[in-house]
Amino acid sequence: MKPTLKTFAVAACFLIFAAGSGARERVPPQTYGRVIIGNHSAGAGLAPVVFDHWLHRARYTCRLCHVDIGFSMKAGATNITAATNRQGFHCGACHDGKRRYDGKIIFASCTESPVGKEALCDRCHAWRKNIAHENDFKAFAEKLPKDVFGNGISWEAAEKSGQVRPLDFLEGVSLKRPALKAQKDVSIEANVTWISDVVFSHKKHAVWNGCEVCHPDIFPIKRGEKKYTMLEIDEGEYCGVCHGKVAFPLASCEKCHTRPTF
Amino acid sequence: MRKKIAYCVFILAAAAALVCSVAVFPDNAFRSAGIACAQDDWKAEFEDICFRTDDSLSLTNEELRRLVSRCDALKPRIEKLDETERKVFLQRLRMCRDLFAFVLESQEKK
Amino acid sequence: MKKMSFLFLCVLVCAGIAAAQSQSGMKKRRPLPYEYGKVVINNYSEKAGFASVVFDHWVHRSKFTCRLCHVDIAFAMKGGGTNIRAADNMNGYYCGACHNGKLIIDKTAVFEACAKKLGGENGRRCERCHSQGKNVKPERDFMEFASRLPKERFGNGLNWEKAEADGYIKPLDFLESVSIRKPALAVPKEMFFEPKGAEMPDIIFSHKKHTVWNGCELCHPEIFVSVKKGSRKYSMEEIFEGKYCGVCHNAVAFPLLDCQRCHSKQV
Repeated sequence: MKPTLKTFAVAACFLIFAAGSGARERVPPQTYGRVIIGNHSAGAGLAPVVFDHWLHRARYTCRLCHVDIGFSMKAGATNITAATNRQGFHCGACHDGKRRYDGKIIFASCTESPVGKEALCDRCHAWRKNIAHENDFKAFAEKLPKDVFGNGISWEAAEKSGQVRPLDFLEGVSLKRPALKAQKDVSIEANVTWISDVVFSHKKHAVWNGCEVCHPDIFPIKRGEKKYTMLEIDEGEYCGVCHGKVAFPLASCEKCHTRPTF
Repeated sequence: MRKKIAYCVFILAAAAALVCSVAVFPDNAFRSAGIACAQDDWKAEFEDICFRTDDSLSLTNEELRRLVSRCDALKPRIEKLDETERKVFLQRLRMCRDLFAFVLESQEKK
Repeated sequence: MKKMSFLFLCVLVCAGIAAAQSQSGMKKRRPLPYEYGKVVINNYSEKAGFASVVFDHWVHRSKFTCRLCHVDIAFAMKGGGTNIRAADNMNGYYCGACHNGKLIIDKTAVFEACAKKLGGENGRRCERCHSQGKNVKPERDFMEFASRLPKERFGNGLNWEKAEADGYIKPLDFLESVSIRKPALAVPKEMFFEPKGAEMPDIIFSHKKHTVWNGCELCHPEIFVSVKKGSRKYSMEEIFEGKYCGVCHNAVAFPLLDCQRCHSKQV
């Protein structure tokens, strides 16, 4: 009976997680990490905003946007308005028409009276509009280390090799602090026998997130304080806050459950 | 007899005038006359106790115990005030009293 | 067959429970600099037909110490905890201790809180505080206020400690006929706390920096009850939940997100 039960359990889990993450939500690599934001767009007579993570995460750390600038990690929860952008918050922290990246001016978001209004707004307010992207994903991804799922890019390898150098500091927004020591690797027990425990690397995550992205909002400080299951993770909580929408998806089981058990 | 009655009437009238004048004369008049009004006593007592909170660390255990007792004695008087004053000053008295008790306990456990 | 069916049922039930859960494990938005320290008070406002009161700490903490409001005027440290009524304000207590139309701050009379007659000019005055959900233009502009103050990260984006130390702001600690004249405060020494478990720098707690704003009775013993150092353990879980340091540093003072502000003693 045991081998049949084990096989069934493994098959059931693959079905659930493949259906729930990789297979059901398998989107083209350039679309993975896309966030649609539509709190107030309709009221302003504009299409909802399309935000593609791949372009931004190549240039900035997750921490910069989600801690220093303060974006929520849930679409629509930040409550961005044209007013907050114009005040220099949210998107406007960079998209102010003055700040430069790589020598180029970053276009201003939500200008009061833009010339050729529609064309400018459409750069972001592009949901279901046939807008040609300013930056080409294919050309961008061509030379980067490959991965199977998500964007098809191994962001970890790309950062390690220096092919992407995400900025962790924004003048006028960030403040330099003495770095905190990266915590040790953590072993998270899988309460079943047919898949290995997870070896969680603080060091690899801190490169993108520092401490503040995850603690205490997503993960409590005290180890063992919270028991979470793959079902919750699949629902977009805990690890699933990132791994399922922007970072490599949960379909890549072997990236976390690193040791084979059978 | 008539003189005695007249005398008593005069005393009674003077007493009545004194009682009625409480509503007529301001508190200051009585204070300046050396007669403190009961309604200001509790506030003066409160200020006299609680002005020591900021240098409570320099007080002896005995002084702290006395201050805590005075707070406890003042509490029933504050409880008789009208609603708003009662709310505010019970809170202020509690913070003051609890601080003295806290400092006392810290010093005793040293 | 029965075992397989049972297992399948368990998996379905777990999926259902997981779907129904909507707590924690999510990264919230960070409040904008002018939103940080906002308290919404609604003990009686809606019942009386008004919008809830919106109280912004940044305006007040630039002019008064925490101690003046939370000890002398006896405001609670939690929205709704004071149980303020319009009558209390009109009698010169709570908000009415300053908002009485007579007290002069920065050469201006502080507007009166609450009125017996409603509507007209009074209606506009009500909306200055009873403004939750209403598009009321604030009298004071945060960006203009913040432009001249030293900056910090998170919270209001301002270094309130430096602003006070360098004289950019001079918060009042005494209100005539409310506060009690006291001798100078005796400041206890700095304290060091060693975090257990995580490899974080030790915490340097400065009594001096805190008493500038709080005096003694604001923290002791209501927030910090321990009479002997080491007799009580303060966990970060409890602090993040709004206890101990979290009473202030979760809502009004620089937020707990800024770990190195406290964990600053490099070993």
